[in-house]
Amino acid sequence: MSFTQQKENREIEEALVKDFQAGNLDAYDKIVELYQKRIYALSFNLMRNQMDAQDVAQEVLLTLFKKIHTFQGKSAFSSWVYRITLNSSYMKLRSKKKEPKISIDELLPSFNSTGFQQEKIQDWSENTESLLFTNETREIINKAVGLLPEKEKVVFLLRDVEGLSTEKVSEVLDLTIPAVKSRLHRARLFLRKKLSGYFEEYNSQKGET
Amino acid sequence: MICCKECIDLLYDYIEGLLDQETSKSLEEHFEECPPCIAFLNTYKSTTTICRDTLNQIEIPDEVRHTLQSFLKENKDQHEKK
Repeated sequence: MSFTQQKENREIEEALVKDFQAGNLDAYDKIVELYQKRIYALSFNLMRNQMDAQDVAQEVLLTLFKKIHTFQGKSAFSSWVYRITLNSSYMKLRSKKKEPKISIDELLPSFNSTGFQQEKIQDWSENTESLLFTNETREIINKAVGLLPEKEKVVFLLRDVEGLSTEKVSEVLDLTIPAVKSRLHRARLFLRKKLSGYFEEYNSQKGET
Repeated sequence: MICCKECIDLLYDYIEGLLDQETSKSLEEHFEECPPCIAFLNTYKSTTTICRDTLNQIEIPDEVRHTLQSFLKENKDQHEKK
């Protein structure tokens, strides 16, 4: 999206929010149209459950309806929507049974005493194309993302999946820019390692046949 | 020359184009002599792309869309009655 386009979208959005705050319900419908997919996708990616994501989407859309007068425009409207979505998803997650935590540090790269890589690194980046849209690959990727610790997962989803800027993520999550970067980097390292196992195995099988 | 650990610590900023020229150059010198780090760089980048492409495919299922629609309609009707 170009900068001018982004600016135009933001202006349209601001106008919709103002109209809705003034009591125009058609403006609300348009806001729903603009946001419901993003709200649903983010909560689905956090919880991996259709019913839960539906509940969250309902709750968020209702909150937007009821609380729009409390939105003061100090941050972007989208940041406000993302924050409500995250809060609502976390409430839902907390009410569920917790899965055992996995430590991200164990999956970060390891180095020898002189700072050189200890493990053998295979380059599977060229061979993902044919695998990308198979159900198995999707399953592996979903599972890997599901294993990310909450703190890293949310940064990864907002920045790399939703495509928000680093600055925007820091606004939504109320984190410093270096904290956003460091969590994102750790998330990517973790996922790279998780996916490596899968793609390397696929490559070596292909080599044998 | 920088070592692999430093190289991987710098990957994020390197990909985002945030490194100063000098650091960027020493990183590239490291890459020239270290195939594992090139493999690491490529797979690091790929990871982001394939995860994004996969997770972005999420659409609201029709039944969820319908539920949301009737939920919102009900809510609006109630609001208008008030």
